[in-house]
Amino acid sequence: MNTLIDQPPNAAPLRHGFRFEGSGGEYFKIWIVNLALSIATLGIFSAWAKVRSKRYFYGNTYIGEHNFDYHANPLRILVGRVIALTLLLGYSATNHFMPVMTFVWIVFFLFAMPWLLNASLRFNARNSSYRNIRFNFVGTYGGAFQAYVLWSLLAVITLLTTYPLARRARDQYNINNHTFGGKAFHAEIPGWLMYKAYLLGGLLFLCGIVIVICVLLGATLAGLDVKSADPKQPLTMLPMMLVIGVSYMFVLLFLTAFVGTRIFNLALNNTVLADKLRFESSLSALRMGWLVTSNLALTLITLGLYYPWARVRVARYTSENLAVIGASDLDGFSSELFAGQGAIGEEVANFFDVDVGL
Amino acid sequence: MQGRYFFPLSARHVEASAAVNGGTLAITGMDGALLASIPMKSVRASSRLGGMRRRLDLPDGDSFDTTDNDAVDRMMRGSGILHRLENSWRVVLVSLVLAGLAATAFALYGVPAAAGWLARHTPPSVATYTAQQTLATLDSIALKDSRLSAARQKHYRALLAQLAARGPRGKDGYRLAFRHAPAIGPNAFALPDGTIVVTDEIIALVKNDDEIEGVFGHEMSHVERAHGLQRVYQASLIPAAIAFVTGDVSQLGQFAAILPGLLLQSAYSRDFEQEADDDSARVMRGMGKSPEALASLLERMEKKICGRKDGCAVGWLGSHPDTAQRAARLRGR
Repeated sequence: MNTLIDQPPNAAPLRHGFRFEGSGGEYFKIWIVNLALSIATLGIFSAWAKVRSKRYFYGNTYIGEHNFDYHANPLRILVGRVIALTLLLGYSATNHFMPVMTFVWIVFFLFAMPWLLNASLRFNARNSSYRNIRFNFVGTYGGAFQAYVLWSLLAVITLLTTYPLARRARDQYNINNHTFGGKAFHAEIPGWLMYKAYLLGGLLFLCGIVIVICVLLGATLAGLDVKSADPKQPLTMLPMMLVIGVSYMFVLLFLTAFVGTRIFNLALNNTVLADKLRFESSLSALRMGWLVTSNLALTLITLGLYYPWARVRVARYTSENLAVIGASDLDGFSSELFAGQGAIGEEVANFFDVDVGL
Repeated sequence: MQGRYFFPLSARHVEASAAVNGGTLAITGMDGALLASIPMKSVRASSRLGGMRRRLDLPDGDSFDTTDNDAVDRMMRGSGILHRLENSWRVVLVSLVLAGLAATAFALYGVPAAAGWLARHTPPSVATYTAQQTLATLDSIALKDSRLSAARQKHYRALLAQLAARGPRGKDGYRLAFRHAPAIGPNAFALPDGTIVVTDEIIALVKNDDEIEGVFGHEMSHVERAHGLQRVYQASLIPAAIAFVTGDVSQLGQFAAILPGLLLQSAYSRDFEQEADDDSARVMRGMGKSPEALASLLERMEKKICGRKDGCAVGWLGSHPDTAQRAARLRGR
């Protein structure tokens, strides 16, 4: 648009990085005030609080000079919450009191899940925008049933050996059914790379176990009886189990973040928008693992007060490592590509278009 | 105010300025061309949030965005109540105190009250069903048939009936079940339907009838006060309430809620145990006997399980208070 000379048609693609402009301190104030309002209204305001939080993170995420935006109507989120809470309470009550009924619930969830999932994804997509253009989600019940239910069942039947492929089916379903300004996203993730991500996670888990065993063994060999019950300094079963439980929690979080980040990279690096724009994610899985575990530790130590900073930290690190790769003049390019008929988001959301989830 | 005008349903935009004149919003390009002219009542402005860019949505799918938040506030006559609250340190401080107080009140009164109410309103048939399921599960993993002679069993059943006749559920309000439990050791527990399970191991440890009566008194209290059902409700209530109020199901939020939830539940559990001890002591005294019997049995159990008389010293992590403390309380009253 503002270029002095015409760009040659085959200009080298440029990297347009994401960035996050929010700050922990600013978000803390928003978070605590909205939390207090949610408490004062016995949770009803939490739908409004959620929209404000989401708007803060979307609105502070930029590519170039433009930010993302979130437009959801909190009332719809409230409806979704009530549905989710009812299901949750119903499920946990039957689970405790009538374990036999649990089977009925599982069947119900299997068949309702694709529908609930599509409703949520559609709601979220339609309420997200970038540069005045809305996203949309066009997944079908059949597609979701195949990607989420059938693939998961196959993974169970094959004793989880096909789990990485099931995860790929889910991610591809999610990405390939999103559109931006009527133009489709497309992802094709190589299966063997999915296996590699999970195998690395598994290896890391084994390393963790070996380290713990070595420490315990070393302590025993060094003459420290780990099980000793010295009356002055009792080291009994329960605190011991708590220590093991807490470390297990941290290891689990680290591993989930590690594998999740690798898969996120894989998915994004293999995604194309409108056949022209590529994405690049260069997140370090180890760094992300450290980020989330240290966030958990700090959040626990500060009795939850660190939570807003934790979220901003993750958002900033993620943004710093994301980029769109495409036309050197993204501005002019987007104006041309995302304009006209295809850009009309479906304005009238149907009644069941709700964000089902807490 | 200066900003960017986005054409209807398009990512195309130009630098522009917006001004309100007589109830109409006029957006003009840098070259002076009029881009849009819309009555103010059909303009929707996004609410002010932090230092974020502000967006004005126009009816045709066009929009105007600007960093000039103050100008938008003047145009919309105010920045909105939420932004004013979020921007006041005084409100932030009050919110912090309120959140802290609410969390404390929720833990101290909210959960016990709600779980208590739910437990009292649980139909007996549900309690019976739960109890049967629990016992069936325990039978299959940890319990074996009792090796106690029929005569001894009959003796203890008579003791329980005698004790139960003094309570609200009456002589036949409880059912005594004997189990051999090498994996659990000397212990006793109550199920919501009034079933009281005692292990062969605790019977072996008992020196006189007063001691087992103390145990019965303790377990009967658990049944009468529906402690078992309350624990079930507590376990579901805590995470559900945290998720509903904070609206957070992020991984961090979920993980961060696990530990406080567990600590809270062991605290409630210790309160229940103390309550049951107090009830047992009351019943024993009512029969002209001493709670000393239960106190010394607890100490013997502790010695058997932990190898020491002064308890396993688990403090605020344990589901039961310290044995030394329990014994002292039983003797002290």
